[in-house]
Amino acid sequence: MIKFSIDGKEVVAKRGETILQVARREGIYIPTMCYLSKVKPIESCRLCVVEVEGVEGFVLSCQTPATPDIKVRTDSQALYTHRQNIMQLYDVNHPLECGVCDKSGECDLQNKTLEFRVDHQEFSAKDQYRPIQNWQYIQYDPSLCILCEKCVHVCNEVIGDDAIEIEYGGYKSRIIPKDAPTLDCTFCGECIAVCPVGALISSDFKYTSNAWELRRVPAACAHCSAACHLYYETKHSSIENPQPKIYRVKNEFEFETLCGAGRFGFDFENRAQKDEEAFGRALEAFEKADTIRFSSFITNEEALILQRLKEQKGYKLLNEEARAYQKFLDEYAQTSGKTLYEADLERIEKSDFLILVGSFVSSDNPAVRYALTVSQKRQGSEIINMHPIEDDLLKPVVTKFVKYEVGSEEAVLGMLLDGLLDEEAKEKIGKKWFEELDIGYLSAESSVGEEEIADILERLQRQHRFKKDRCTLILGEDLYTHPRAENLAKLAGLIDRFTDFEVMLIPPKTNSLGVALICDLDEEGGEYTIGYNAKGDFVLSALGDGDLDMPALNQQEGTFTNIDKRVVPTNVALPYEGYVLNDLAKALGVSDKEYTIEFTKELPQEKGYKPIDFDDLPNEFFNDGTEHRGYRLENKKVNLSRKNIEPIAELPEFNGTVLYRCEPVLQFSPFTHKAHQLHWPCALVGSYQFSVAAKLEDGDEVVIHSKFGEIIKHFRIDPKLKGTVALLGTSDLGVEYFAMQGNYRYERVKITKRVEP
Amino acid sequence: MSRVYFSCWKDELIDNRGKPKEEWQESAYNFPEHYNVDQASKAFIGWAGFALFDEDVDVVKLGTEYAAQYQIYSEACGRCAPGRWGGRILYDLFDKIARGEGEQSDVEHLKEVSRTMMETSKCEIGRTVPKPLLDILTYFKDEIDALIENKKPSKYYNDPSVSYIAKVTAPCMDACPSHVDIPAYIEGVRDLRYDDSLLATRKTMPLAHTCGRVCPHPCEEECRRANLDEPISIMELKRIGADFEDEHSLFWLHPYKQKPLNGKKVAIVGAGPAGLTGAYYLAMEGVACDIYEELPVLGGEVAVGVPEYRMPVKKYNKDIELVNSLDGVHFITGKRVTAEDMRRFEKEYDAILVASGTRISKKIRAKNERDEIKGYWPAINFLDCINLYVKYGIPVPEEIRKKQKLDKEYVDLSGKTLVCVGGGFTSMDVVRCAIRANAKKVIMLYRRDEATIIRNTTYEEYHEAVEEGVEFIFYSAVEEIITDEEDNLKALKVNRFELIPDPNGGRPQLKKIEGADFIIECDYLVPAVSQSADLSHLPEEWNIELTSWGTIKTDGKTYMSSKPGVFAAGDCEYGPMTIVNAVGQAKRAASVMSRYVLTKEANLTDDEIMEDHLRALKVYDKKEKIKGWLPGLPRQVSLKLPVEERKHSNKEVNLGLTQEQAIAEAERCMRCYYIAMVAV
Repeated sequence: MIKFSIDGKEVVAKRGETILQVARREGIYIPTMCYLSKVKPIESCRLCVVEVEGVEGFVLSCQTPATPDIKVRTDSQALYTHRQNIMQLYDVNHPLECGVCDKSGECDLQNKTLEFRVDHQEFSAKDQYRPIQNWQYIQYDPSLCILCEKCVHVCNEVIGDDAIEIEYGGYKSRIIPKDAPTLDCTFCGECIAVCPVGALISSDFKYTSNAWELRRVPAACAHCSAACHLYYETKHSSIENPQPKIYRVKNEFEFETLCGAGRFGFDFENRAQKDEEAFGRALEAFEKADTIRFSSFITNEEALILQRLKEQKGYKLLNEEARAYQKFLDEYAQTSGKTLYEADLERIEKSDFLILVGSFVSSDNPAVRYALTVSQKRQGSEIINMHPIEDDLLKPVVTKFVKYEVGSEEAVLGMLLDGLLDEEAKEKIGKKWFEELDIGYLSAESSVGEEEIADILERLQRQHRFKKDRCTLILGEDLYTHPRAENLAKLAGLIDRFTDFEVMLIPPKTNSLGVALICDLDEEGGEYTIGYNAKGDFVLSALGDGDLDMPALNQQEGTFTNIDKRVVPTNVALPYEGYVLNDLAKALGVSDKEYTIEFTKELPQEKGYKPIDFDDLPNEFFNDGTEHRGYRLENKKVNLSRKNIEPIAELPEFNGTVLYRCEPVLQFSPFTHKAHQLHWPCALVGSYQFSVAAKLEDGDEVVIHSKFGEIIKHFRIDPKLKGTVALLGTSDLGVEYFAMQGNYRYERVKITKRVEP
Repeated sequence: MSRVYFSCWKDELIDNRGKPKEEWQESAYNFPEHYNVDQASKAFIGWAGFALFDEDVDVVKLGTEYAAQYQIYSEACGRCAPGRWGGRILYDLFDKIARGEGEQSDVEHLKEVSRTMMETSKCEIGRTVPKPLLDILTYFKDEIDALIENKKPSKYYNDPSVSYIAKVTAPCMDACPSHVDIPAYIEGVRDLRYDDSLLATRKTMPLAHTCGRVCPHPCEEECRRANLDEPISIMELKRIGADFEDEHSLFWLHPYKQKPLNGKKVAIVGAGPAGLTGAYYLAMEGVACDIYEELPVLGGEVAVGVPEYRMPVKKYNKDIELVNSLDGVHFITGKRVTAEDMRRFEKEYDAILVASGTRISKKIRAKNERDEIKGYWPAINFLDCINLYVKYGIPVPEEIRKKQKLDKEYVDLSGKTLVCVGGGFTSMDVVRCAIRANAKKVIMLYRRDEATIIRNTTYEEYHEAVEEGVEFIFYSAVEEIITDEEDNLKALKVNRFELIPDPNGGRPQLKKIEGADFIIECDYLVPAVSQSADLSHLPEEWNIELTSWGTIKTDGKTYMSSKPGVFAAGDCEYGPMTIVNAVGQAKRAASVMSRYVLTKEANLTDDEIMEDHLRALKVYDKKEKIKGWLPGLPRQVSLKLPVEERKHSNKEVNLGLTQEQAIAEAERCMRCYYIAMVAV
């Protein structure tokens, strides 16, 4: 702890904490133009200079760690003059087009120009012609760019795309795509978010609204289990149409990162009116029904309503995907002794050794990918990715890729467990299991060589030679629907219990964790099924294609239970004029609440939820970056199971044409696909090797004969992809998508070329 | 000393205006008065002022050009607001005055923008560029006022006959024999762009793994941060980029695209650091290289001299593979080049680079010192035997095993006592390898004191050796080697010395202490005082000039020997020196050779000429006071393998900085870029 003072106030810094960080934490203002909390100090703007008693010249507060007993002054006439001069320089030749600039009203340059009273210009330089660049979702105007470099740093340090760089040239410097003629990236749009001026903007949003006309609705992203914090920004659709619409999405970019699906896939709302006839038919259907099937794209409160329907009306609740995850969690608890997994995204960022098994994270859960990027860049962590298909986007952060055969996940975890545990732990678990482990067989069948496991262990040892630090095992969606999921979960639980590893079980869909905790899910359905965003005899649909309309998640208030085991609130961005689930529950006598959010405080406490009113849930970030959104679930102890882990089963063979259900980046579900910026078909994507084996050519229209019926797809070769397993995107398949989610992600299929009718 | 008409540099002001030439006062600084042999300079301008060598210099134009050079060179910077816009405004305003369109208010604005740049720019280049310009405004105010008054362009504003040659440097870059762009590679680490970091290193230094581990880092002696607190750990930051390439299999990151082969061919003698570097930059320029190596392995002294625990061969091989990855690079190992071969090379190749090092251990000049003594083991051969086995599994040859009484196929010194006479890096390698070869006792004899041995090597090296159990005996030298009837080494008679300070303030003299001699019983004596070059492969009739040290003589700039087309770099040119010195020389030689093979002329580029001029002037100023940085941020120290673990193994001792440490260390770098310019 380092004691020093800022403007006479006694403050304390942690080791390595910079003067600016302490100042911000303490609420002391130091102006900046290029500082972005979540990346390393950029040091380009020089506005944050301060005076330190006894030190000649100005000291850069953003990158200078505090030293004991220094006396810092953040403001003086000299500092003011210099900051004013810097602002004057920033304003040289900055186009005077604020009237039409998207950023006007929320522009750092505007704000600081006013703050430092730059009302005239003494400096001039010859102007230059610099054309605007159009990069698909993003537009770049170099003449508006102040070269703060925030975009470049966030792209490299947090996202991991490393897709843009500065073309150095002094006054002519500009941002350019890195090593490519045009921008080729995952289009997360963080560069737009962090841009302090109007240089990088959303092509879609351009010229549609002034910043100050928009209404900001704080919410949680509904697309994946990261449930990132975001703001929907809305206003009336047009002069003729007073109905509000979402114009764009913004995020707390200083501390949080949002992917492109969250940023560009915002208009998935379901516009509907109260259709009393349909409502009546729905009630009739409920009378008839004995089963409700639903997806995990719902709030915790809706999940609780469904659970109440089950409890009071005896419906069976079906949600195959959440059920698989729920069982996985239960089995995991049996050997780990905890109801929940331990790790969260922050843990990943701070880890220096990570193993990832069974997830295609760059599209499954970009937040995990970003956390991995941060850990690699900051900690120089070892990241071992184990998967049948190499994730090209993860390549820059992964230090070792281990390919295993489709279906052999149990062998992989078994070998890891065997390698990571010491003798004492093995003794406790039961020596026999380890003695019976036929490593030769497992290694041969899974294609994971013994030497590869040995290499992983050596890397672990090297990384932790001096400090046993943070290791994290990240497990993904592939495992939960695996035929041997129960044993996989137990193995994972043992790794948590007997090693330094903390485990993360990435929840597969937006609120899978909430559903798994709140609902008693059934294995089998009955005769007549109500589908809620799922197949059924009577379908309630937020996509607008069912028998009764339901609100989409940007039209609802409520909470999600996210990957960090945090209960996060979301709010109504767009009004919904139709019926909601609570209306049905009320009509069925199961709910006595006027609003769905009255259920928030009734979420099951035995699962770690707290009896807090929705309106009392915080939803903000503090100055020092700490997250205050909702609350975290309590991880409760459970008794260890006496059941032994099972021996590893014979490994299945996956020969022939195998597809892996994997959405393209920016897509998660039919809800992202519905958004106008993301409304493009998802192809079947294979490697050259796959195309040769399947006798397909790039651009072929194909019919996939799957157990879900015939799927028609466009086939595309991805030259970066390797191996014989192709990626099948399903976001564009409508309600079919939901039906697939409870199944193992790999499937053997037959593919034929489509003959034009 | 330089003869100047006018100069202001740091605190010195020489004003000979209005004085007859014979009364001109000289400047104490070594300014580049003569650009090269046949070209005088008109003026020099740089970070601390300017100098005019001629009365007829247009100083306003000089200032404009200097500001313009900053713009041109801004790819080295241009990353902060004051530098980016300020630099442009500086130029525009200065040029406006020089063109004859200026106002007095422009002078005021110039001063204003200069102040902002000087106090807040990100790097020294932005902070120092305004300095000489303000000096011009001060000392040549009359000229400026006249231009503004008369609205006329400056005297030679439109004269194209004067050329302006600029160069960006930094104290550390200047001190580095390879002139590595150190601030850039540190910036790469700071920005978490490890690939950029490596690319910056490789512009002038292909052996990033090696020089990120075993460089004696002369740069750190001239690091400006030392004026504030402690120097940056420059060397250790170099391996971050190289390890990143390795860990992420990004093979290979070249600083630019290799040029297509141009049909020219060079023979290189020796595949050590100099030979490898020469090959890398020649091949990058499109010149094919055949590299002949006497040893069965590649890498020269770094491979067989530097022990595994300091320089893991796996990492060194990455540097070698990088060179080998280029088109036109061809290695021939196990081939000792003879004079006959050299004659053939002269016909078959367009040029020859001799980089054969210094591989003969010098004698210690003791009585009875003979090569035949069993147990007398010259350092070079001792290290060859150890390293070839440890790194490549090549057993010790039969005849050496016999001579040195080894009963295993590798060097095992169990139960033996070894004495090494030395004091430099090689002797450190010998004693630390002897510890790892399980010797019972290892003694280092050194004529001078502890402080000198640290100065000759590094503090870390000495400290680690002591930790591992090496016994150092200072102020001592072997007088006589005592052998038995079978010519086995038995003992050494050692003299003791004391330091007698020189009353005139010179270097203290060593004086033998009478009656203080003592005997050390030992099994091995390893002379490691110095090495000399084996140049038996140079054909006699070529009459290649040698230095008084017995190395190949060159002009120290182009590295061409007295025989046109034959170049020399590394230890065989300089005498036993550092890796980074060999790399620097070979890089320069390769550059000259890449032009020589096309034109048959050995000449330097402007950049290289400026490099030498700036080294003569010296960029680093130990006395400079640092402004605008908070002192007291400690230098990061890398983790070392615990002594018990390293003593008996060849595992790398230095584990390097952790990523967090490296980033923190990189943030201490003050980016001391400067720009200098000569008018000719």
